[in-house]
Amino acid sequence: MLFLQLLVDGLQLGALYALMAVGFAIIFGSTRVFHYAHGTTYVIVGYVFFYLAERLALPWWLAAAIASAAAVVFGVALDRFVYRPIQRDEGSFFTVFVASFGIGVVAENLIIIFFGASFVSISTPLTRVSDIGGGIVVSYLGMFSVLVAVLLFTFLNWFLAKTDVGVALRALSENPELVRGFGLNPRKLSQYAFAIGSLLVAPAALVATCVTGLTPSAGHRVVLISIAASIIGGIGSLRGAGFGGLILGLAESLAVWKLSTGWSEAVSFIILLAFILARPSGLFGTRARV
Amino acid sequence: MVGYILNLLILVSISGILAGSLNFIIGYAGIYSMAHAAFFGVSAYTAALIAMNLSTSLLVAIPAAMAICAALSLVISLPSLRVRGEYFVVASLGLQQIAFTVFSEWKDVTGGLGGITGVPVATLFGYKLRSLGSMLTVSLVCLALVTLVIYVLVRTSFGRNLKAIRDNEVAASAFGKNATAIKTIAVAISSALCGIAGVLYAFHVSFVNPESFTVDASVLIMAMIIIGGTGTVFGPILGALIIHLLPAGLTYLTFLPARELASLQQIIYGAAMVLLMIYRPSGLIGRSNVKDTWTR
Repeated sequence: MLFLQLLVDGLQLGALYALMAVGFAIIFGSTRVFHYAHGTTYVIVGYVFFYLAERLALPWWLAAAIASAAAVVFGVALDRFVYRPIQRDEGSFFTVFVASFGIGVVAENLIIIFFGASFVSISTPLTRVSDIGGGIVVSYLGMFSVLVAVLLFTFLNWFLAKTDVGVALRALSENPELVRGFGLNPRKLSQYAFAIGSLLVAPAALVATCVTGLTPSAGHRVVLISIAASIIGGIGSLRGAGFGGLILGLAESLAVWKLSTGWSEAVSFIILLAFILARPSGLFGTRARV
Repeated sequence: MVGYILNLLILVSISGILAGSLNFIIGYAGIYSMAHAAFFGVSAYTAALIAMNLSTSLLVAIPAAMAICAALSLVISLPSLRVRGEYFVVASLGLQQIAFTVFSEWKDVTGGLGGITGVPVATLFGYKLRSLGSMLTVSLVCLALVTLVIYVLVRTSFGRNLKAIRDNEVAASAFGKNATAIKTIAVAISSALCGIAGVLYAFHVSFVNPESFTVDASVLIMAMIIIGGTGTVFGPILGALIIHLLPAGLTYLTFLPARELASLQQIIYGAAMVLLMIYRPSGLIGRSNVKDTWTR
């Protein structure tokens, strides 16, 4: 019984992780920017939502829309004003990573100054749980997060397969030179990647803020999970990143079955190390270049 | 006041060892590790446990901690150095998280979040290092030795191999260099040297707890190198000095709200990292020719 409950919890957690990871995977896969500040985007969405919905008491949908818009603005601005100037002199992967990390540190501490370092949470009627039979409980928000994940994945698949921008983004991840050869502008495409990738982390941030609350330092964990999921799924594969997130969510939740809760975080990273050891190309990746 | 300055200088020397050992792989080998605080922590816990149960001699604790750190480094370098650079960063981030979990959850050994308190005073050749002055002397000697080891290493054929791999791994392999083996050894050396810092730290503050060994600490060590200058001998020491003097300096600016000082300090070094990456990726005393270290 405990096992089933943990499985259900793990599915919900996995859906959230999948959403975080897919956003990171789009950005990293198509632009090769090691976007550590992806976690910062998550935290910004959470705090903007908290401020508008809880402090200013705006209707939740308006607060959520503004928070999501903030995510897009933040992501695109970072690409344009931080990553692009560095890449101008063919900045290495790590130079970009350090800058991204610096942004995360600055944002985290600005949030601490404005909101305090402690935990904030939002009370909503949706966090109430209901029994779905056999003593297994699910919250409405939990179901909602799974539903949102499925919908967004369907939409994303359509977007990447059918629209011009989607096809161009996939091309960019495979061969940036060829994209340039076809007269498309990789810079512009990278803006799209950042906009979409940042937008995708918003639903995860909104739901997770309501379910588990938020701290200014939550971003580290979010981006670590996203990176781990992207590698487990295979860099460059969005489907892989989604599955990776799901696996990590399930693993973390099921770990509680046998281990004390403090250890569950380490489980994700042990899985990650195992994948790097045994199958660095991940589940769906094809190109683990040396 | 003298005590305060001595204490600060000891911490600067310990950080100098941390930054110097990390710079050995970042600056000269192009291997970016985010797990340096994990090695720092493992060696500090090792020293604390040895001091409580076995011997307080630095000559026991330092070699033991170095050996354990070098062995632990294989956990990340063996799987991830075979594949490209990003994987090492990710694997080291993973190790850092696992290490923190172990420090805070393996309560029988590490004492959990409370840590290990009451680490006895260190001894060296039977002499107790009770005063700050003697501890500072030992720390400075260690810093000098570590710096010297790195200075010599990068000038040997091993060091030239490292730089060759950093600049062009394919070309180095084509010349018959076993890049994976060379990089693995470099990471082991770096981790072992880092172990010295952990031992000194455990004996100096006489307690260890997980909070000192978080991913933020790894970033702080990295910030020292980046601010000082990667791939330079004295850059990391300068960086360590700046990072430690910054909070001390900020307390003199009385118009700043005292409650926010810690955050302000973090904002300053975060912003410094971003601006340096945009305008001067080689650090304060690095060569202004960026292409040398950072772009390959």
